[in-house]
Amino acid sequence: MTSEAEDFALQKTHLSCELGVSGSGARRYAAAMYFYVQGHITPEILEIYRRCCHDDVEDPIDLARFEGLPVDWLTR
Amino acid sequence: MRDTRIPNDWDRKGLPGWCYHSAELLELEKEEVFKTHWQIVCHVSDLPNSGDFQTLDMCGERAIVLRNAEGEVRAYHNTCRHRGSRLVAEDHGNCPSAMICPFHGWVYNLDGTLRGAAKPTSYPPMDKEEFALLALESEIWNGFIFVRFKKGPQPSVAELLGPFSEEAAYFRMEQQVPTDGIWNEETPVNWKSIRDIDNEGYHVAMAHPALQDLYGSTYEDEPYIDGISRSQGRYTPSQGRRWAVRNYKKFSKAQDFLPEDLDKTWIYYGIFPNAVIAITPETSLFYQEFPLGLNKSVIRSATYRYPNEDRQQKAARYLASRIDRETVVEDIQLTIWSNEAMASEFFQGFYLSDLEYGVRSHHDHLRAVMPIYNVEEAPKEDDVRALSAQLQSSEAS
Repeated sequence: MTSEAEDFALQKTHLSCELGVSGSGARRYAAAMYFYVQGHITPEILEIYRRCCHDDVEDPIDLARFEGLPVDWLTR
Repeated sequence: MRDTRIPNDWDRKGLPGWCYHSAELLELEKEEVFKTHWQIVCHVSDLPNSGDFQTLDMCGERAIVLRNAEGEVRAYHNTCRHRGSRLVAEDHGNCPSAMICPFHGWVYNLDGTLRGAAKPTSYPPMDKEEFALLALESEIWNGFIFVRFKKGPQPSVAELLGPFSEEAAYFRMEQQVPTDGIWNEETPVNWKSIRDIDNEGYHVAMAHPALQDLYGSTYEDEPYIDGISRSQGRYTPSQGRRWAVRNYKKFSKAQDFLPEDLDKTWIYYGIFPNAVIAITPETSLFYQEFPLGLNKSVIRSATYRYPNEDRQQKAARYLASRIDRETVVEDIQLTIWSNEAMASEFFQGFYLSDLEYGVRSHHDHLRAVMPIYNVEEAPKEDDVRALSAQLQSSEAS
């Protein structure tokens, strides 16, 4: 069983996994859902990750900035 | 102790021909023969890592088995709780930390609980357990993963296959690894025509020259008893007249962990209603058939090998697969001929040899599930379901 801290770190890894890798969009979206449930990201940011779920090369942080959404927590 | 003797005086008829060409009966078979009986999905070695999954589509239902974060194998309906879309669209693969429905994007943890619904603000708060994937009953036997969609007449897999457990344990199948994945091959026949061929060795000398060359004179079948059958062929002492058999006999070598009586033998465990686990000194494999339509079925199979095989064993495995492949092609032709016979209004029905008692015993198992198989004259299609229920009810009372 992983501890909450370990799980948090693991999900952070998933959230920031390398762009362009097959399945990485889904991996980032699944992690974004984790952080949404934890209260770290907004529904709007979660929706950005959903839009990028099937697009492994689209950078959700770039897209969020393009949409005018704050990305402070994501880039911290 | 299984009493495998063939009765002196048995009814040599097969199932009535209409049973192979009734769409209504096929629907009943999906419900009462397939969904209520154990089905093999894959082998534990198909899921070596956390997040690895394998799916099984069968009779309109969808299963997913996956290895969770704790390393345990779990089975679920491959169905999103939102709109019922298949959650995983691929046959197999890896979900690193979660499963995501490709339809709207609901996310599930590897333990099946809901991580969250897409656009969560469009819903009231949702309980992750209440909206978890529906679990499927599953069991692992010697490395093979079984699922069952609905409770049925069979006991646990361990109990069902108990009579073979001591022998099967010698082969250490749970340690094996995949060879070339899971194969699916469609055939234009009713599923029972496939099983009718596979359940007897009477045709081997006539139709399978390679198998005959390998073990023909030693081959023997035990009928289905309490849901399982067993067949075996021990290599004949001849060198082998065919290239693949001759070289297979030359290269196949005893595994040091096998007792002498098992080291030159191919064994087949039949599992009612539609599956076989076959074992050779080099491999184990499963094959099973599922109906895709009245006269359309899929044969699904996979072969597993020992992880540390040497070059000689690898060569033997290749040769065994050639023999097996040749046999499958021959069998598929036989299933077509058998199936078309069942549609002829002039065919009088099977008249089975003692060497085909396995066919009868499989049919008897079907009759035990649904007595309607005993009805000789084809009922009207609209009456099949009601008649089946009525016969089941009178049998029960």
